[in-house]
Amino acid sequence: MGALESIVAGAATNLVAPAVLFFALGAIAGWLKSDLTIPEQAAKTLALYLMLCIGFKGGVEARASGLTAELVSAGGFGLVLSFAAPFAAYAALRGFGGLDRVTAAATAAHYGSVSVVTFAAGSEYLRAIGIEFGGYMAAVLALMETPAILAALLIAGAPGSKPDSAQSARFKSTLWREVFLNGAAVVLIGSFVIGVMSGERGMARLDLFVNALFQGALCLFLLDMGLVASRRLAEAPKLNVRLIAFAISWPLLSAGVALLGAQALHLSLGDASLLAVLSASASYIAAPAAMRIALPKADAGVYLSLSLGITFPFNLLVGIPLYHAAARLLYG
Amino acid sequence: MKFATRTKLEIFVEAHAVDEIERMLRDVGFKGCSVFAGVEGAGSHGAWRQTGVEEAGMRLVVTIGAEEAAEAALHWLENYFAAYPGVVAMSEVKVLRAERF
Repeated sequence: MGALESIVAGAATNLVAPAVLFFALGAIAGWLKSDLTIPEQAAKTLALYLMLCIGFKGGVEARASGLTAELVSAGGFGLVLSFAAPFAAYAALRGFGGLDRVTAAATAAHYGSVSVVTFAAGSEYLRAIGIEFGGYMAAVLALMETPAILAALLIAGAPGSKPDSAQSARFKSTLWREVFLNGAAVVLIGSFVIGVMSGERGMARLDLFVNALFQGALCLFLLDMGLVASRRLAEAPKLNVRLIAFAISWPLLSAGVALLGAQALHLSLGDASLLAVLSASASYIAAPAAMRIALPKADAGVYLSLSLGITFPFNLLVGIPLYHAAARLLYG
Repeated sequence: MKFATRTKLEIFVEAHAVDEIERMLRDVGFKGCSVFAGVEGAGSHGAWRQTGVEEAGMRLVVTIGAEEAAEAALHWLENYFAAYPGVVAMSEVKVLRAERF
C-alpha cells in the first residue's frame, strides 16, 4: 500500500470509529438544539474514570518495560515542549490573533497544556490500526499538563491581581493547589503509581473495568464533548478568522515540532505519534480551572471556544490520523 | 412568634472562590452559610451553563447575620470583585431563632 493510500485508509478508519461518531452525534444534537444532556456529575465521573484507566494501564505497562531511556527522553522532551509552547503561542496570538495580553497568555496556556481525551482517542486509534506504543506515554501526558500553566503565569506576570495582600496569599495557595493538586492530576498520576505498584496482578483484577468498559465510557464522554463543543462554538461570536486559523494551524505546527524531536530522540513510531497528538492537543479541564483563578480578566469565551470548539474536534476528526501519517512518512 | 431582624447576603461567585469566601464570612462574624451549585444562566458576559467538562462552576453562598458583619463582608467583596467575576445582594430579613444568626 502506498503512503497516500495508507493515510486515506487511516483517516477512514478514524472517521468511522464509534468514539468519533458519538462525538459527531453529540455535536449534531447540540447544533440542532436537542434537549440531550449528560448530567454534570455523570460527565465528571466519566472523566475521572477515563483518567483512572489511562493512568492505571500506563503504570502497569511502565512496570513491565521498566525505567527505559525512551521514558526519560520522551518525558523530558514533553516537559520542554509544554513549557516552551506557550511563549511561541503567546507571540502568535498577540501578533497574528490580535488578542489582548492577558487573554493571549491564558489561551497560550491551553495550547501548551494537553487534553486527556485527545490522548485517549489517539491511543485507541493506534491500537485499532495495530501500532504499538509505550505505556509510559501516560506519564508523559501527566508531565505535560502543568508546565504550560506555569509558563503562562510567567508571561502574564500573575499572580498578583488581587489588591489586598492577605487575600493575595490565600489566592496563591488556591492557585498552586489547583495547578498541582487538581482532581484530574491526582487521579491520573495516582492511578499511574498504583498501576506501577500493582503490575500485572493488579491488571488481572481490574481488567474488565479498565479495558473492556473503556471504549463504551469514551463514547459516552465524547457524546457529551460533542454537545459541549457545539454549544460552546455557537456562543462564540468573538472568534475572528485569524483566531480560527490559529486553532487549526497551531496543532499542525506543534505536532510537526514534536515529531522532529521524537525522531531525533529515536522514539518508536507509536510513541512519536502519541507525542505529536499530545503536543497538538489543547487543554480544556486543567488549564481553564487554573486560568480562572490566575488570570480572571482573560476572556474565557475565547480560550474555551478555541480549545474546545475548534482544536479538539479538529484533532479528533482530522489531526490524529494526520499526525500518525506524518510520523510514518518521517520514519520511512 | 418572635421575629428578629438580620441581614442576608447572597453572594454569587465562581466555585474556586468558595473556600476563601467561607473563611472571610467566619472572620467578619457570620456563624454559618449555605452553598448552592449554579446550573445555568446569563449575565454581562453572556450565557453560561455548568458542564462536566469545562469546570465553569458557579456557586451561590447565602448567609444571614448582623448588619455590621454584612458591611465588613461587602467591603471585602468590593476588593474581590475588582479582580474576579461575581455579584452580591444584601437584604433585611426577619428570622426565627435569632440566636442562631
